[in-house]
Amino acid sequence: MTQKKLIIVGNGMAAGRMVDELRARDAERFAITIIGDEIHGSYNRIMLSPVLSGETTAHSIVQKTAEWYANNNITFLGGVRVTGIDQHAQTITCDNGNQLDYDELIIATGSRPARIPAKNQALAGVMAFRTLNDVDTILQRSQTAQHAIVVGGGLLGLEAAYGMAVRGIKVILIHRSGWLLNRQLDKASGKMLEKVMASKGVEFRLGVEIDTFLGEGHVTGARLNSGEVLPCQIAIIATGITPNAELGLEAGLEGNRGIKVDDYLTTSHPNISAIGECTEHNGQTFGLVEPIWQHCISLADRLCLNLQTAYQNTPVATKLKVSGVQVFSAGEWMTAEHHREFVYSDPARHIYRKLILDNNRLVGIVFFGDVRDGQYFFELMEYGVDVINAMPQLLMGRAFCAQLPEIQLQPDEVAA
Amino acid sequence: MSALIAIHLEPTEVEPANHTEQTTCCYCGVGCGVTATVSNNQVVMVKGREDHPANFGRLCVKGSSLHQTQQSPDRLLKPQLFGQDVSWDEALDYSAQKFKDIVAEHGPDAVAFYLSGQLLTEDYYVANKLIKGFIGTANVDTNSRLCMASAVVAHKRAFGSDAVPGCYEDVEQTDVLILVGSNTAYAHPVTFQRIVKAKQDRPHMKVIVLDPRRTATCDIADIHIPLAPGSDAYFFNGLLSYLAEHNALDHDYINAHTQGFDEALAIAKTQAGSVHAVAQACDVKDQDVAEVFALFAKNVKVVTVFSQGINQSSSGVDKGNAIINCHLATGKIGKVGATPFSITGQPNAMGGREVGGLANQLAAHMGFDKQDDIDRVATFWQAPNMAQKEGLKAVDMFQAIDDGRIKAVWIMATNPVVSMPDADFVKRALEECELVIVSEAIANTDTAKTAHVLLPATTWSEKHGTVTNSERCISLQKGFLPPPGETKHDWDIMSIFARKMGFDQGFNYQHQVEIFREHAALSALDNPRKRAFDISAMADMTEAQYQTMQPIQWPVNAANPEGSKRLFSDGYFFTPNNKARFIAVTARMPVQPPKVGEVIMNTGRIRDQWHTMSRTGTAPHLLGHAAEPYIDIHPEDAARIGVKDNHLAELSNRGARFIGRVNITNAQRQGEVFVPMHWNDKYAASARADALVNPFTDPICGQPEFKHSPVAIKAHNTQWTGFLVTTQDVVPPCDYWAKITAKHGYKFRLAGSDAANFDDWLQQLFPAITDWQTLKDSQQQHYRAAGFIDDTLVVVFNSEQGNNMPNEGRWLETLLGQIPNAMNRFAILAGNEGKGGEDEGAIVCSCFQIGTTAINKAIKQGCDSAQALGQKLKCGTNCGSCIPELNGLIKRATGQT
Repeated sequence: MTQKKLIIVGNGMAAGRMVDELRARDAERFAITIIGDEIHGSYNRIMLSPVLSGETTAHSIVQKTAEWYANNNITFLGGVRVTGIDQHAQTITCDNGNQLDYDELIIATGSRPARIPAKNQALAGVMAFRTLNDVDTILQRSQTAQHAIVVGGGLLGLEAAYGMAVRGIKVILIHRSGWLLNRQLDKASGKMLEKVMASKGVEFRLGVEIDTFLGEGHVTGARLNSGEVLPCQIAIIATGITPNAELGLEAGLEGNRGIKVDDYLTTSHPNISAIGECTEHNGQTFGLVEPIWQHCISLADRLCLNLQTAYQNTPVATKLKVSGVQVFSAGEWMTAEHHREFVYSDPARHIYRKLILDNNRLVGIVFFGDVRDGQYFFELMEYGVDVINAMPQLLMGRAFCAQLPEIQLQPDEVAA
Repeated sequence: MSALIAIHLEPTEVEPANHTEQTTCCYCGVGCGVTATVSNNQVVMVKGREDHPANFGRLCVKGSSLHQTQQSPDRLLKPQLFGQDVSWDEALDYSAQKFKDIVAEHGPDAVAFYLSGQLLTEDYYVANKLIKGFIGTANVDTNSRLCMASAVVAHKRAFGSDAVPGCYEDVEQTDVLILVGSNTAYAHPVTFQRIVKAKQDRPHMKVIVLDPRRTATCDIADIHIPLAPGSDAYFFNGLLSYLAEHNALDHDYINAHTQGFDEALAIAKTQAGSVHAVAQACDVKDQDVAEVFALFAKNVKVVTVFSQGINQSSSGVDKGNAIINCHLATGKIGKVGATPFSITGQPNAMGGREVGGLANQLAAHMGFDKQDDIDRVATFWQAPNMAQKEGLKAVDMFQAIDDGRIKAVWIMATNPVVSMPDADFVKRALEECELVIVSEAIANTDTAKTAHVLLPATTWSEKHGTVTNSERCISLQKGFLPPPGETKHDWDIMSIFARKMGFDQGFNYQHQVEIFREHAALSALDNPRKRAFDISAMADMTEAQYQTMQPIQWPVNAANPEGSKRLFSDGYFFTPNNKARFIAVTARMPVQPPKVGEVIMNTGRIRDQWHTMSRTGTAPHLLGHAAEPYIDIHPEDAARIGVKDNHLAELSNRGARFIGRVNITNAQRQGEVFVPMHWNDKYAASARADALVNPFTDPICGQPEFKHSPVAIKAHNTQWTGFLVTTQDVVPPCDYWAKITAKHGYKFRLAGSDAANFDDWLQQLFPAITDWQTLKDSQQQHYRAAGFIDDTLVVVFNSEQGNNMPNEGRWLETLLGQIPNAMNRFAILAGNEGKGGEDEGAIVCSCFQIGTTAINKAIKQGCDSAQALGQKLKCGTNCGSCIPELNGLIKRATGQT
């Protein structure tokens, strides 16, 4: 039996995991080719922050080496960019002119940093924090840089700021919103986070944006829309991501911000699948790792086992990877009029725990500083458990409740 | 250097040896002997004294806790003048000059002393001598007026002398024990224990309780007569006519030793001529009445113990005599196991009566009714200004303070702002008085707060002198600890004051024994069996004999050198013709019946508290039994006002309010409530029961009607309920609070009738705290907060909307005043240690929230790689960031094992 040809375009975390899931089911079924525009094998992008802060090394986060691909009969084309897909001919074209044909194509091109409206972004030193290459560059510049600016007070921006601060660089983080992690935390917890980050050496300018970067060739500073001018030798932009959907969309696949996939990760063309941050599913795009693992499982089940394992969009909890700072946020984070909230707050110890209830059921979790039982609350939320009888004790954690709310599977899930 | 170390290593130098002292308890009238173990100037343990006839080794819970009430944070240690610390000279110069000025301008009746059954006999003697013999007025009364005055006069009318005929042995050796108006189980616990034991040993012994309430004492009762409040005299008048009817009289005794029987019987017959009439009047069952009457009639050995239920009444004297009449009519007196027995409330109420420390007594069982007595005492004292007439009794005294007739009052060892009837009136009267001197051990009693001059007195274990208990037994209450701070003994304070007033002679005592000898000599003066109180055999006592005095029952004279267990055994009484007197008693009900909708408020003691709590309130475990002011109420009444068990209700009368926690019980008669008398402004927001008591008094003895106050009642409008645990003694600004002493501070139970902004409320109450943690609910159903100063837990507050108290979690109290570790600090607002589940430890895997506890456990069970841990716990299988930490934990664990 001849092997079918499977091409995976992109070699980020989704591709890496995809290979594992395929091989775990049927190692012989496909002749796999992976094409990635980075020269490294698949690495754990989430761990870039610890690499930057020096808590781990670049070497240790590479999960698949060239040797590994060779040993496992996988063709790995590193440093190569795919420029086009011909869905009728079932071929792809690469930037080196090569053309490859496939039986099954998986697009896993990921995403890129979102752009900001600031002027003069082309200066050297104004950069993203996305790849091992980026980290290399930052680390090199860190040797001489004294001041850095990070734009974006989301997870990545905070991690980047922290990573440089621990290397002794004076970091100022600029964030458009009035508080940090404003898509995960409410103002009270966001302000608490600000204090904690400040104690780790990060300074903040909130509610402002960069008007223009300053410098000749290399960045030397930035002017804010408040008029303030800050010096910097590095400026990292981490204001979010944009799906790398162009390859698919230009090939005629359906989609808007991302490449549209169904519950089984099939695009609008049956031989082409897509996973990860380049996709959109029911209008939603992705930025965290958990749903992507589910993409890989669902797709591997279909390709290898012909099993219909539907991928479902579920809420995802957010965690911050800054040493000593614990954040757990899921669902709603801002309390609305019709909600009931329970809030524990210990400002001196930087602990904040909020549960948002709607009709006695959890719809939001915002934990900061002490995130115990976050996953448990997450499950209570997912299963729509009535928790009112356990309140307010439950807010503090399971251990403090004599009677815990019971998590009962929904009838249809039991049947399944 | 080395020499010093050597000394420190000497064990005997480090641990001074304990020693024991024989003394008596300072609480109730049982007067138990106490063996106190002393170490480092602290009483470290107390035991009942085995050889004391009051208790033979027993102690009740209050007595057993004496050593735990030694360290009051509120102890008064320095004299104060207008709130400022001053020297003794300044305080007493001012006081004496002021007394002199007022007496000079307005006469001696413009000054008064208000004393206490807590004073020792020697203190009492000096007070009585000073005011009656030297200042020149009999305006000296005592809180004994509130408890014993009825019995005193009943005794005097019947026996010609204020003398209790029997002794504690009689309650053990009787065949029928009738307890009337006495919750012996709570108020005289050791006597109760003796009764319990006696009933076990002699099962045929019958115990009958007459009390509107089914009290704890009823647990051992064969018959409980829940009679209508105040109807007691109908019952005993009925008994007298029953005895006559059923041929149960001792005619020989009546003829030989009594007078006035026919008149007494005649009135008894008209008022309560049949069992049925009695049952009607008392609102009880015919059959129960008949049974008790028959038991009384058939048995020779009958003891009738009566206490505050009889005394605290507008007809208390008559009630006492109605009881005594029955014993005289049957000769059941002065015999083993047969006596009427008035049991006193206070440790030295009897001693106060012996020295004559009441307005209507003179001294040593002499009275103002005989000029001979007045002259005899004046001569003995060499008194320059001998009072010639009775003074004002307690209620009248405070009335006179209010209307300005009395301009200076010296209050010693008592708290009338809490304990007097119409107590708010008393408070206002004192606040308006020209000079209020208060001698106290505790700085901030409700009464001390009204003082211009505050004098620090010694207290139990420091003061030294004699007390007399309910069975006439004189014991030495020993001072064996040095007076703390600048405290002085009461007799010493008054002696210095007397000299400062210019009375150079008569107050130069150097030792208590000198006072005691003088007291004993006065009892002997012209007393050839004329007055029952005679301790002439003790008049020449040496100091050494005094210091080792063994308990002895008066009279102690030539005829009875070893004392006297019983009086009147020979039918000799102290009336002019030496015959006992029957008193014709017209029974009457309390002064004011309740109006429609009102309930009758009864007041009394609880088991573990003493009087106004200034001592017992400082021992946490004494507040375990009853921690808050409460209201016992019948289920029908509770339903009528719409209040549930454990919720709050309020009583009101005379503009005063009592808010207490409702205890719904069938032990109450319908239409009647019971409240404890102890709570006061130091321990509760609004629970001074006596402020609701009308100032109705017995016309003969002046004792107030504490047991019967018609009051309005309603459910309290509680919007929120909560508790506060704090190291600081605060006054929470809310409708209801009750302070409960905790080991490291206080717990307050709280309730409010209006919504509060708790953030502001707490900040105002604890302005020094900036470090708060809170737990809030947007619907305001719950609010919790904890406050810290320098990381030390100072306060925890927990409240809920509605009537239900949030779970208090005693665990919190253990953290108070401590610096809690991170885990405990987090747990504070949860209110428990979090043992409901395992502490997960520090979170290692953020993705799956796996902590060190689970990981270490899995490693122990054989997971030796991050991968193995991932398979078991899922940790590290998502983002993988924690794998280095997982490997670290494996290394550490395997390296250790």
